[in-house]
Amino acid sequence: MTDVTLSSARPVAAKRPGGASIGPRWTNALFVAPYMVFYVLLLVYPLFKGIWMSLLQSDMFDDTSKFSGLANYYRLFNDKVFIGTVWNTVLFVVMTVPVFVVIGLLLALALNRSDRTAAALRAIFFGTSVLSVTIVTIIWKMMYMPGNGAIASVMRYFGLDPIAFTTTASLALPAIAITTIWWIIGLPMMLFLAALQQIPGELYEAAALDNASRARSFWSITLPSIRRTMLVVVIYEIVAQFQLFGQAQLLTQGGPNNASRPIVQFIYEQGFRSWNLGYAAAASEILFVIMAVAALAQFFASRKRVEE
Amino acid sequence: MRKLSTVLLAGLVVTAGAGTALAADKTEISVSRFFGACEADYGSVTDVTKANGECGIITALINKFNAESTTTVVKPEIVEWPGYDQLTARIRSGEPPVISVMHEAVISNYSSRGLLEPLDEDFAKAGIDVNDMTDAARQGVTKDGKIFAMPFDTHTWLWHINMNLFKQAGLVDEAGKPILPKSTEELFAQAEQFKQKTGKPYFISTLANETAFYTRTFDTLLYQQNADFFADPNKVNFSSPEAKGALQLLSDIYTKDYTTKNQDYAASVSSFAAGDGGVFICGTWLVDTYDQEAKKEGVALSNGYAVMPFPQIYSGSPRVWADGHSWVLLKQDLSDAQRASAIEFMKFLWDNNYEWARTGHLPIRKSIIDSDQFKALPFRADLAPLAVNGTALPSAVKLQFSIQDIEGEEVGSAMRGDKPVDQALADAESRINELLANAK
Amino acid sequence: MAASEHIVGRGIGNKLILFTVILVAVFWMLPIAWTLLLSFKPNSELMISTASAFQPPYTLKNYTDIFQSSGVFRWLWNSAVVSVGVTAGILILSSLAGYGFARAEFKGRDVIFILVLLGLAVPEQAVIIARHQIFSDLKMHNTYPAIILPGLSSAFGVFLMTQYFKAIPKDIDEAAMLDNASRFKIFWKVLLPLTIPAQATLGIFSFLGAWNDYLWPLISATKPEMFTITVGMASTQTNFAQSEGLGFLMAQAIFAGLPVFIVYLFFQKYIVRAVAGAAIN
Repeated sequence: MTDVTLSSARPVAAKRPGGASIGPRWTNALFVAPYMVFYVLLLVYPLFKGIWMSLLQSDMFDDTSKFSGLANYYRLFNDKVFIGTVWNTVLFVVMTVPVFVVIGLLLALALNRSDRTAAALRAIFFGTSVLSVTIVTIIWKMMYMPGNGAIASVMRYFGLDPIAFTTTASLALPAIAITTIWWIIGLPMMLFLAALQQIPGELYEAAALDNASRARSFWSITLPSIRRTMLVVVIYEIVAQFQLFGQAQLLTQGGPNNASRPIVQFIYEQGFRSWNLGYAAAASEILFVIMAVAALAQFFASRKRVEE
Repeated sequence: MRKLSTVLLAGLVVTAGAGTALAADKTEISVSRFFGACEADYGSVTDVTKANGECGIITALINKFNAESTTTVVKPEIVEWPGYDQLTARIRSGEPPVISVMHEAVISNYSSRGLLEPLDEDFAKAGIDVNDMTDAARQGVTKDGKIFAMPFDTHTWLWHINMNLFKQAGLVDEAGKPILPKSTEELFAQAEQFKQKTGKPYFISTLANETAFYTRTFDTLLYQQNADFFADPNKVNFSSPEAKGALQLLSDIYTKDYTTKNQDYAASVSSFAAGDGGVFICGTWLVDTYDQEAKKEGVALSNGYAVMPFPQIYSGSPRVWADGHSWVLLKQDLSDAQRASAIEFMKFLWDNNYEWARTGHLPIRKSIIDSDQFKALPFRADLAPLAVNGTALPSAVKLQFSIQDIEGEEVGSAMRGDKPVDQALADAESRINELLANAK
Repeated sequence: MAASEHIVGRGIGNKLILFTVILVAVFWMLPIAWTLLLSFKPNSELMISTASAFQPPYTLKNYTDIFQSSGVFRWLWNSAVVSVGVTAGILILSSLAGYGFARAEFKGRDVIFILVLLGLAVPEQAVIIARHQIFSDLKMHNTYPAIILPGLSSAFGVFLMTQYFKAIPKDIDEAAMLDNASRFKIFWKVLLPLTIPAQATLGIFSFLGAWNDYLWPLISATKPEMFTITVGMASTQTNFAQSEGLGFLMAQAIFAGLPVFIVYLFFQKYIVRAVAGAAIN
């Protein structure tokens, strides 16, 4: 806020009415007003409406909503399927986020060069990210299909029993994780690439003079320099993967036996299949709380970064 | 610039005018359906007799209707099976289709909330004799004493049989009919014999990514034992010895490798066509598809396809799981012309019910079941009793699709060995009862 | 791209690493190659087995069928309208708001800004049920505005643009103020052109996000003629479609993926830069 002192030192007299002035003015609020309309109507209002709905017993087509306090929440915490979806979602985050970080970073390290090969390879790894989830799941169904899928065919060729990825309880979620990593590994790779390019070359030159090994310069120069990007990637991916829905809904329908059903799918099904709006709203509030914690962490992490 | 826009505008007015002029002659109604999309093969076919399979026949039927009707244009809207999530969202948004296909099992969900139009009077006016409906169909579309849908078929659970493999396994009698089990002991003996002689599993089943197989088969096994698991429509009862026995049977079939495993619907359908097993437990809708396949030379099913009702392996009754497709008229502000058009289309489907029955589904008109034309279709003599034996859940049971999902999930996890039989039954029971306790 | 090239730029390990990555990239391409291959096979053959994929006959019928019948064109058009709408809306609203929060003071601005930042913590899924009710009550579903508008409430763009405007040296607008330009004129003529890199970043993210959005269109665009390509492709992969027209389904997937993929190849440089821009911000 140094601008005020700066400008007051200048001749203010030259200003005529109508021109912009520094300092608070209510008309300035007009810049943010258009966005705030959308923000309030389509985010804030639905948020509170959702919280209110979660306290009701309401049916999609029956207007006899009854206030029921925390009954929906009570029911949720005793619902094995819902607890299962929370667990599945957490498990999915645990499965994918470290892989996004490690593989993303490895790819970035390997492709941080300016030749054409590297550019082509970057295009390949990032290219899948532009496909929609529905196309990605079609592609991967053809990989996983136990009878006719590509993986099964290869395994049979080598005389192995095909593995039923999407239909074995313990493998369904990993299968979705693999698909997800294939789909959007490009983003963490790009973020790491950008961070790597910010590292001053002199640091490595100095290390080279000291005859430091490759591993050493990685640990003592690269890693510390991209620490913050890593934090951003971790938190971004946590938030993103908590929102798992399309891949699970289309690849496994949440099965077998709920082994791969994520929270969002539970919300969707309660709302649009069982018409249980209050219950669905309550589940979405739980998701909100979980993700708000992650997002606030992101906010503080990035603020710290700005300050430093 | 202004000239250009004037020209453009004029062009727009002319084309729009032409469009409305054409449409003004006929009333357009939207008809939402699943059964797949196949305009590529049947887009211009209006001769229904040339169409095969569910998708082909329904597409050709609608084409034929559009070609013949002087008053109505049907605009088909093809949705994902079963499509109720989206139908729900559409109704809630105030823009439902005029007509939608609907399983009879779910009609009461919608009718009890006042979302469907009762059709008794319209049918009477249109000259549709509801007394010609089969009992199964009429019960299926009647809720609280009113008819809420035009039935389209009764579909049940069948054994599609690869006769070439059955011969190899020595399971064909002198008359050329497949030898099927009459008890659970015979089932295991024959399955073992089949496996020994052919090296392939007796059953092909859809065990992956959907719950339909589990629910339909399990329900059938309960019906056969006369276990009335929905005596109280608000409470399911799976704690009977019959339920345990049935689930144990499925589990044994799985552990003894008498079935293909891990196949989803598409995989199991093609697996049977490829000759990977003897019996494919699946629905009526595949009869025509496989019959056509069997007419080809040099494929696994060449001259070797038969289909039978689910054989009675318990001493109770020959009842089998059944449901029906039907067409409902969704409540909305319809003009008289639209309503008349909708009924006209339903009447057309009623008149052409035989064509749909060629898929393998059972017709919903007594007069068709008794007709020589129907009886002349392959296998139908064996399948006709299903019009009587096909059994649906009591219509007072709410949220039947959700129930089928839960039941299928739990039955499936026990069959595949992920859960003990007792626990799966207890979980299914408590989850379904919890659902029903919170259902409106 | 000089900086850390050194880390791979020495030793024979370099070639080995490159070789490994190329190998991984080949594996990365396999699923798409497999889909492409199947899309050229007749459906009837695939119904029996996909093992025949490596032998002829191949056919273009699956692709010609798309031109005859499938809803893919309409869905692509819808997706284009929606994505352009969302992108334009976000760019306009976020630029205005970003400038406002960064430069134009008014009472309570900082409190409002913090409230907006809190909005970053609200996932779409947490408000989806209530939003659906709201649009239902307004009878707005199955329209472009219904699919577009919720996307405009996202706080991410505002946050990004605010940061960017803050980073522009204040001397620039102060000079303009001395010329007695109005606030809006300063924003429009002086500062906005400086934010084009940020606009590109935000635009690309918004476009891809809208193009690939699944949950909201799934429940809002429920009439087949209003499907976006993402929802449309979901509606075709039912069990029945799979068993009856596997090759056709594959062709549709390839075809539906093409436009955005081509756009990506064209703008690859900018997209890479945009992502990098987001990372540095």
